[in-house]
Formats: sequence, C-alpha cells, structure tokens
Amino acid sequence: MSRVQLDHIAKAYGNGPRVIRDVNLDIQDKEFVVLVGPSGCGKSTLLRMIAGLEAITDGTLLIGDRRVNDVPPNERDIAMVFQNYALYPHMTVYENMAFGLKLRNMPKTEIKDRVTAAARLLEIENLLDRKPKDMSGGQRQRVAIGRAIVRNPQVFLFDEPLSNLDAKLRGQMRIELQKLHRDLQATMIYVTHDQIEAMTLGNRIVVLRNGDVQQFDTPITLYNQPVNRFVAGFIGTPPMNFLPGRLSGTGPLQFQSDQGAVTLDLSQSVHAPALASFRGHAVTLGIRAEHMSPVPVPGRSMPELTVQADAVEHTGNEALTYFHLDDQRFVARLPADLPLTFGQSFRLFWELDKCHFFDAETELAIR
Amino acid sequence: MSTFLRYFLLILAAASFVYPFVWMLSASLSSESELGNLTLWPVGFTWANYVTVFSKIPLGRAFVNSVLVAVITTGLVLISGAMTGYALARLQFRGRNLIFYLIIFTMTLPFQITLIPNYITMVKLGWVDTYFALIVPFMLNSLSILLFRQAFMSLPQALIDAARLDGCGELRIIFQILFPNILPTVLTITILTFMGLWNEALWPLIVIRDEPTMTMPQLVTLFSVGGRADGQLTVKITAAVMLAIPIIILYLFFQRHFIRSMASSGLKD
Repeated sequence: MSRVQLDHIAKAYGNGPRVIRDVNLDIQDKEFVVLVGPSGCGKSTLLRMIAGLEAITDGTLLIGDRRVNDVPPNERDIAMVFQNYALYPHMTVYENMAFGLKLRNMPKTEIKDRVTAAARLLEIENLLDRKPKDMSGGQRQRVAIGRAIVRNPQVFLFDEPLSNLDAKLRGQMRIELQKLHRDLQATMIYVTHDQIEAMTLGNRIVVLRNGDVQQFDTPITLYNQPVNRFVAGFIGTPPMNFLPGRLSGTGPLQFQSDQGAVTLDLSQSVHAPALASFRGHAVTLGIRAEHMSPVPVPGRSMPELTVQADAVEHTGNEALTYFHLDDQRFVARLPADLPLTFGQSFRLFWELDKCHFFDAETELAIR
Repeated sequence: MSTFLRYFLLILAAASFVYPFVWMLSASLSSESELGNLTLWPVGFTWANYVTVFSKIPLGRAFVNSVLVAVITTGLVLISGAMTGYALARLQFRGRNLIFYLIIFTMTLPFQITLIPNYITMVKLGWVDTYFALIVPFMLNSLSILLFRQAFMSLPQALIDAARLDGCGELRIIFQILFPNILPTVLTITILTFMGLWNEALWPLIVIRDEPTMTMPQLVTLFSVGGRADGQLTVKITAAVMLAIPIIILYLFFQRHFIRSMASSGLKD
C-alpha cells in the first residue's frame, strides 16, 4: 500500500514567509500524480519535502500508513529521479544502479538480479559498463530511472526528469514513462512546469501557485472545469483567451467587454443561471483557441465577431491566428487551409456554451 | 613576435632557472678545489661529498621523518580541509559565512606572527621534540579549506541529494561521492601541502632539538650553518641536493599536476 497523504503541510525557511502553505493532498496507491505550476510555485520544494531532502515546517506526511516527517530520506522507501540525472560520474552504470543496494547490505547476487532486470526493462543492458560521460542525455535519463527502479520503492518521485532532453526525445520518454507506470504499478509523483507533460502523464494533476494548491483533479476536469482564472490560463496550449468585462445589471443578461469590442447575449446560454447572481459585477470571459471557428456549427449558439488577423502561425495541421479584442491578445485555432494573412479581416464564431466566466475580484470560476 | 625570438627568450628564461640546479648537482659531484669553475659538468668527478654527508649526519633517518611528517600531515589536511570545506559549502548553519571569512583572514597573517604563540602552545602541551609538534599545527590549512569549498560548491546539489537517498551519511558523501569528482583539486592541495611541508625548515628548527626527530630541511640547514660541514661548500651543496631530489622525482611523475596546481592556486612558494 503506497498511498501518500499530505495533511496541512507547510514550509518556511528560517523566519521567512511560508513558501508552501497548508497543502492537503491524498495520493492514492498506484496513482500517477503530477505537480505542475510556474517557476517558484513550490512544486520542487514540495517534492523534496516528500523525499526528505527538505524539512517539513508544519503538517503531517504519511507514506503508506507511516508518519515520515522525521524519517531520513533513505528510510522512506522512496526513489527519486532528478532533472540533471545526478548519476555518480566516477561510477559505471552498473555501479550507479547498485550503489544504494550495496549500502543496504543486499547480497551481491540479488543486486545483480535487480540491476539486470531493471536494465532489461529500460533496454540499457549494453550500457552497464559505461560511465555517465560516455552516454547521451536520453541514456543517462534511463539509467537514472533504472537506479530508482532497482530499489523497488513504494513511491517514485520525479523532479522535472525530461526538461534537459530535446523535444523529440521528451515525447518518446513521456510514452515510456506511461508504460513504466503501467508495468511497475507504483505510486508516482512527478514535478514539471510543462503542462503538456502534466496533461499526458498524470492520472491527476496538482496545480500550484505561490505555494498554494489551486486545483487537484483529473487532466480533463482541469481543462474543462478550471476552478479559477489561473488554472484556466495555465492549463492548455495555447493558453485560454481572457477578456475583462461586466455583466448587465438589468434587462437581458449580457456580457460587455470593458472597451466595448464585444457584447454577448447570455440569456439563452448554459451559463445564465450561474451568472444571474453576478449581474452588474465585473467578470472575465475566457475562451479556448479551439472554441472559435470560421464557420458556425449548426445547432449551437455561436455569436459572430469580425476581427483582424495580427499574425498567423501555420503549424501544418492548423493555423494559430492572433488578433486583438479590446486591448487583449487572442488566439484562435483555425483550419490550416483557411487563406488568412496578416491584416486581413475575418469572421469568427464563438461557442458560447464553451466559454468560461470568472469573478474579476476573486478570479474564481462562476458555475 | 617571431617564433625564433619567442623560443630564444623562453630558452633564456628556462636556462636561467635550470642552471643553478644543474650547477648544484655538478658541484656536489666535484671536488672542493674545482668548485669555482661554475661548469655544468663535474670536474674531478667524485662521490666523496655524498659519503661525507651520510657519514656526518643521519640523513636516512631525517628522510624517513620528513616523509612521515609530510605524508601524515598532507593526509590530515585533505581530511580536515574536505570536511570543513564541505560544511562551509553545503551545510546550513548560523555564522557559516563569518567562519569562512575568518578562515580567509588567517591566510593574510604571515606565519611569523603565529610562530611564538604556537611555540608556547607546543611547550605547554609538552609536544616539543615530538612528531606532534611537526604535524598538529599544520593539519588544518586555510588554503585547502578554500579550495575544497569552491570545488564542492561547483558540484550539483542533486549529486548530494541522490547520495542521501541512497543512504549515504555526510562522511560517505564527502569521501566516496564528491572526492572522486574533484580529483584535480585534491591533487592541487596534495602537491601544494606536501611541498610546503617538505621544504619547511623554520618551524622544525624551533620545536625540534632532538636529532633523531629532525626532518631533512632542518638537518641540512643545521649541517650547513652549524659547522659540521667543516666549511666545505661542496658538502653543503650535496646536502641541499639530497633535500631537493625527492621533490624533483615527484615533479617528474606529477609534472602536469604540479603546473596546474601552481596555476590554479595563483600562489608561488
């Protein structure tokens, strides 16, 4: 049973402010949880606290059913893979993988069996006699994962393990990590600042900001039902478009952007009941790039806007088209064959029911 | 500058450094009467000077003492320097920077300033005429601490974290994980410390009076200025050659590291 529970966990350095504030997470056995957030949000600190490399200022950390706040890292039954691999440069791959086991006085035959099995799983059997300097980044990363696997830990911790790899290799390794999770059936906690990594790998994702958990949920829920404007803007590529405005106080329920470029009638939309109590309030409208279309979809409520293209990025299968509404930059994901060029005006239909609304004051989603 | 001129100047500079050593070697193999020739080849070749030196002073014993003191002290400097450097580089504790600056400050103090207090300490501890007096005052060295600290700071923290997760304690982290990855620094410190200790004559002259405990530089100095060479310059030069030979042999083996040590430390002894 390798459940990990963080109960009111907090961290402060000396008498300074708390960099991790009251984090509560219940990570289930065999779950793959990704901690994601911008630089400085505390995700690596939180992972290092779980690893025992940083002291916990407040709260309780349970691995399995054991409280491990004061247990040294090597006794927590965890293994960690680091961003820069952290292989011992003076040791061969075999020695790197076997080192931790030797320190536990494991019999040599068992060490050999475990290292060989892990090497076979990761397809690095031919590298066992090499030193880290003689290997590529991808090979080193496999060895680093191998070093974690041989320990057969309750919990695997990954600290941005793919960020030093090039884009192609990162894609391959993502798939291999998914496979590894299936094969090992272990609890994995993974830190990244890359939300694509988070979305593709995690059973559930923790979005962190300034040491606070913003949302802890499945990737699809985070994408479709972000709890606040931060999560909405952080999850998704390209990021969600935002337009500040206000709801009408009386008459039909309408959204009007601050500078008047957009007026939307919301009285028939699915949002109407939730927005009713925010009449007259400042709200922010959010819409994803793929929820705007050059042609209306039959049967859907899709208001039309005419906009002017600031830039068009052709990626082959689509054209990311940038334009301005009020003074906000917007991006729409349009078909690649749409003959659009810089400065050209074009019609755009919005999927009103896919829009999000956030309270401008609290930034919380209005549902 | 033309290649010819460059080589000419380099050869001139090299010759001016090498000449005294070659002459010294030549003089040690020449008879006293031929000393004034300043030739680079022995005139009236003889081993007599070496026979005289070995017969008059216990050079073998002094050599053993020098090796013992230099090796043990260098080992202790490596251990204590690495531990202190690691603490200053990687452990968090109150006053860490203050301690580091104090250690750096001691580097600015000339050895002569601490000579008398150190001697009094040796007397109080009853260590005069013992190996302790030759070893203990040198076993912590601020330059080694500085070099180790810088070297440990240059290694990634993740290496230390990985070692902790593998179950290493701090000592194992220092000596089994980090040490092999800073070998150039270790060699630099080893060479600089060993050379400094090997050539040290002043301190042994103060704390050692018992001949069987004397080191080579001390014995050679006493031999040269103390009248036991009977005023024979070739014999004194021979003793000096005996003192230089071990360092020259070491230099031949570790030439590359010697040069790097001097270059990286920015020091000249």
